[in-house]
Amino acid sequence: MTTHAAAVREETVEVWDGRVKLRVKVAGDGPPLLFFHPLPGLAWQPLLDEIAQRHTVYAPEHPGTSPGDPRAIEQVQTFTELLLSYEEAVRALGLDRPVAIGQSFGGMVAADLAATFPSLFSGLVLLAPIGLWRDDAPIPLMEMVAGPPEDLPGYLFAHPDSAAARAAMALPEDPDLIPAAIAQQAWNTGCTTKFAWPIADHGLGRRLHRIAVPTLVVWGRQDALVPVAYAREFGDRIAGSRVEVLDDCGHAVQVDQPARTWAVISEFLGG
Amino acid sequence: MVGCEQTPSPVPKEASVKVSMFEQVPYRYMPEGFENHHSSVVTAPYGVVEPARMTESLFSAYAELVHAARAGFDGVCVTEHSQSSYDISPNPTLLASAVACAARAENLDVAICVLGRSLGKTREPLKIAEEYALLDCLSGGRLIAGFPVGLSYDANLNASIPAVETRERYREHRELILRAWSEPDPFPWNGRFEKYGQVNIWPRPVQQPRPPVWIPGTGSPGTLRDILANDYEFVYLSWDGPKLTGRQVFDRYWALAEEMGRDLNPYRLAFLQVVAVSETDERAEKEYAQHLQAHYRSGLGAIPGSAFALPGYAEPAAIEAMLRGSGPEGMLGRMKTATFKEIVDSQVAIVGSPATVADQIEAFVREFRIGNLLVMLQNGSMPRDLTEKNISLFAEQVLPRLRPIWDDEGWVNHWWPRGQGAGAGAGAVAEAVAGAASGREA
Repeated sequence: MTTHAAAVREETVEVWDGRVKLRVKVAGDGPPLLFFHPLPGLAWQPLLDEIAQRHTVYAPEHPGTSPGDPRAIEQVQTFTELLLSYEEAVRALGLDRPVAIGQSFGGMVAADLAATFPSLFSGLVLLAPIGLWRDDAPIPLMEMVAGPPEDLPGYLFAHPDSAAARAAMALPEDPDLIPAAIAQQAWNTGCTTKFAWPIADHGLGRRLHRIAVPTLVVWGRQDALVPVAYAREFGDRIAGSRVEVLDDCGHAVQVDQPARTWAVISEFLGG
Repeated sequence: MVGCEQTPSPVPKEASVKVSMFEQVPYRYMPEGFENHHSSVVTAPYGVVEPARMTESLFSAYAELVHAARAGFDGVCVTEHSQSSYDISPNPTLLASAVACAARAENLDVAICVLGRSLGKTREPLKIAEEYALLDCLSGGRLIAGFPVGLSYDANLNASIPAVETRERYREHRELILRAWSEPDPFPWNGRFEKYGQVNIWPRPVQQPRPPVWIPGTGSPGTLRDILANDYEFVYLSWDGPKLTGRQVFDRYWALAEEMGRDLNPYRLAFLQVVAVSETDERAEKEYAQHLQAHYRSGLGAIPGSAFALPGYAEPAAIEAMLRGSGPEGMLGRMKTATFKEIVDSQVAIVGSPATVADQIEAFVREFRIGNLLVMLQNGSMPRDLTEKNISLFAEQVLPRLRPIWDDEGWVNHWWPRGQGAGAGAGAVAEAVAGAASGREA
């Protein structure tokens, strides 16, 4: 992939009766596509640049994760309120049936939005979403979040020492910016885990049958956070969905296998 | 009854500084080197426990608290931690009620300080309101109601409360408990976290509208403002070493008190200090050093650093300030390898002869304007006989020097329980409790 970085601008939309000023990163041209970020917050990344070549990417920042507005998380009290806020955001942004891509935590959000509002999206891509639970395949989300930072790459990547993995985990080069970056990422994780703690099961499994749009499920076979067994759980519950399991690939599929991840997404998006 | 064989003579109590014996409830037989392989909390492997030794550890804690009450301490104090090897006290009101009944049976005028049930952790705040009220009745109006937020590992891992909700829950629960204690008629509670159709608890505290409220904390400005605004008591603990962090925290507290128009009444401030006293300095080190060092390494030292503040427990500005090292570095982060010398030099623990200990405590009590003192006299593997020696020596030779420190300033200790239930009917209560304890028909 040799795509150039897209020009990213920022929009703010008021949702949830004005209680939340939702910040949305926007880039690209073409039909609208929503990206829902994982636990540590939104990081603009090569995959989004790629998508922005033919879609207008809208990437909202989960309430509370926008720098300078930490208390916004208190305005969203339940997971249902989070879903309703995002549904309002789609309308406030004037998006007509966008495609939704959600990763990990964002995958749970996107999947539940698609189940709760069956005509909100025109297509759905789930990158190793949380949201289900099997006793024989526990998801060590609590262990990961509570554990030492040095253990984090082991949960996320098939090859934690690869250049791509190290780049994805990189802190700012300017040492003076590092404390704020660490603090922000910790707070972001607090804001997302509010709706995923200690077990991210809001009954999504009982709603997935309501999803009525073309759906692609992408998983890494070596996912150490959400075991690959869940790929079939999603696939079986969402009628007509397609499941792609990538070899030599961990939880962060687009970091471990950028080309193949983009290939399956690109094909799904009609490219 | 336990400990009847030793009853030190009581110390006169008319003077003012109140001194309480604080006790954690550790398993006293942690294997050496435990901290190199395990955490002391959440995942601490129960396989290291021998059941008979667990029973002994728990009962020793009870016996030592009763010993302290008999020795003349003004109060006894326990706290709450779940799934922990260093403080096996998942509900401190259980142990506190046993001590309260023992104290009533012997007519001991001792405050029961629970420091306390964690309000950010609980899913049943009314249970806390009821338990505290019951304790206040049982103790004859001698309860000190501790309202801690709860440590992150306990609230967010053990109880699995989302970290970012911990403080919101704390605020709601505190408001509900205070109202449940004092509102005469049943009322509905439609909270963010709790819904009750009719709140009407039985019993209510003897001390109305509420027992004294004490709040332990690490001294963040937000917590201190909350404490001062509501006229609660601030409790600081010595884990970080007062020589390293005390100055900053205490100075901030008194500066905020002045800024908020509060008086400088030293009884607004309580401090918990680990103390180990023996006949001489040399003997104290010989008797206590191994226990202290092992305790901090395998207990507080074996709590993973990340378990003190899960993501969301503290706001970004607070985390950033901590990472920038804006304050002095305390001992808590270094406990796993702490040496006896570091523990003593930083004053995490004060160890020595009665004179040495009294000199050091008196100096910082005066310097930082501390009115209510908690002393932790048992640590880790310390056996009961050594702990009871520590308690007796402290009561006889250190405590009397501390009580009169603020007498010449003439302040009133509004943060000490009033003992209102101790008047009418107290004799009958004591008789009933004593009868029950000895197996007679009451």
